[in-house]
Amino acid sequence: MAQPPSLTAAPLAAVAAALRRRAISPLELVDAYQERIESAADLRAFITPPGDRARPDAKRAQQRLARREPGALLGVPIAIKDLFATRGLRTTAGSRILRDWVPSRDAALVTRLRAAGAVIFGKTNLHEFAYGVTNANPWWGIARNPRDVRRSPGGSSGGSAIAVVAGLCAAALGSDTGGSIRIPASLCGCVGLKPTYGLLPLDGAVPLGWSLDHAGPLTRTIEDAGILLDALSGGRAWTQAQRVTTRGLRVGILRNSIVQPLQPGVSRQVERAAAALRRHGLRVRDVRLPEMAWTVATQLVTLRAEASAAHARWIRARPRAYGPDVRIRLQLGALVSGADYVLAQRMRAKIKDAVRRLFDDIDILLLPTTPITAPVVGERTVRWRTGEEPVDGALVRLTAPFNLTGVPALSVPCGEVGGLPVGLQLVGRWNDEARLLAVGRLIEALASR
Amino acid sequence: MTERDQLAAATRAAGLRLTAADLEALRPAWKRYLALVEELRAALASEPWND
Repeated sequence: MAQPPSLTAAPLAAVAAALRRRAISPLELVDAYQERIESAADLRAFITPPGDRARPDAKRAQQRLARREPGALLGVPIAIKDLFATRGLRTTAGSRILRDWVPSRDAALVTRLRAAGAVIFGKTNLHEFAYGVTNANPWWGIARNPRDVRRSPGGSSGGSAIAVVAGLCAAALGSDTGGSIRIPASLCGCVGLKPTYGLLPLDGAVPLGWSLDHAGPLTRTIEDAGILLDALSGGRAWTQAQRVTTRGLRVGILRNSIVQPLQPGVSRQVERAAAALRRHGLRVRDVRLPEMAWTVATQLVTLRAEASAAHARWIRARPRAYGPDVRIRLQLGALVSGADYVLAQRMRAKIKDAVRRLFDDIDILLLPTTPITAPVVGERTVRWRTGEEPVDGALVRLTAPFNLTGVPALSVPCGEVGGLPVGLQLVGRWNDEARLLAVGRLIEALASR
Repeated sequence: MTERDQLAAATRAAGLRLTAADLEALRPAWKRYLALVEELRAALASEPWND
């Protein structure tokens, strides 16, 4: 029998606890989510839904639970962005080129999830090769925002965010090269964490930009993000986060020109969150980072060159096997000279230095995740009073700087505008995920009041 | 040499085989790319060894 929606909508922590106390079995849980996936097929969250393939994992988890074995994720269904290799399970990277690839090995993070007892729960939709942020996938379907199906979920980990928000899994794994975890988290209304560059291994993940690629969790709550991060990293960030005293922490609100323009409603929610943090004893002040002005150019040159290098063979031999938007980006990348790439890396070093200096004075940087709420599917430009901006440019404007610098960044829901979620972005020092999660949890608590 | 010819030459040198329509589709992105690189070059030109 199908479980009530409250269970499929429950946080990972509650699901794991219910499994431990045998309130539900892994197989029953898999069936409950599966039923929801079938009823939500129009959202196009999955390229390969779990189907019966999740059942062997669920049976193994059931045996491990019966033996009271350790494992933070025992029996918990986790959806995987279809960019991470899964042994014996098709991995397409959202592309036509890899539509029949069945890997013989798991990606390193999938191995870690299995070791923690997770049920690998289907492969989620993404922008083709993760090279875009709208999730309008020409080969596997245009993904839809569960909060308003006329709208985009954002991307490239759009399927993972949909699966979390629509109650199709307990949590999901995503990747982020310019904002691809945080953007869909913001637009769909869940938590998305891009940890410090290099904290999570990317072996077995189809690369986009080697120096920009990050993996991370998409979850319903901050606690879930912490639990999943620790399972993926083998670290103790979440344990440490629970010991962090947030009172007295120094929070900087980014006031650079790059933050503008912003939808007024998004701006209001960010100011409201900042005021709430101030009332709770955090020391909030305005900060500026002039070097942010160069992040758009630096990110574009870096990513175009790196992605084109990753696709060097296919973009020359099989250009028509790519969708038009990704094809143009890759062809442009083939034109980036070594000198231009070096130019971008010189600027990148300056931006990183500036961020390092900024974190001498603050503990957390605060800004919106995206300047807009979810755009309508197919919308190409955002109209501001000052002019037009491409939708994809607007969506990555505030997230990409932290791929260049590699600092951890977290998107946490902080209210709604016109029924659509708004994401607040918290950025921390390198390897300071604990403080990031602690402040994220405080914002989550304040937003739910 | 026209801008279009420059782009065509650059794509050939990069080993890309593009149709005329492909070149037209690529041209706006290429122009934006060149403008952004120029911005970076100008920003970094103030380094002392460039005086």
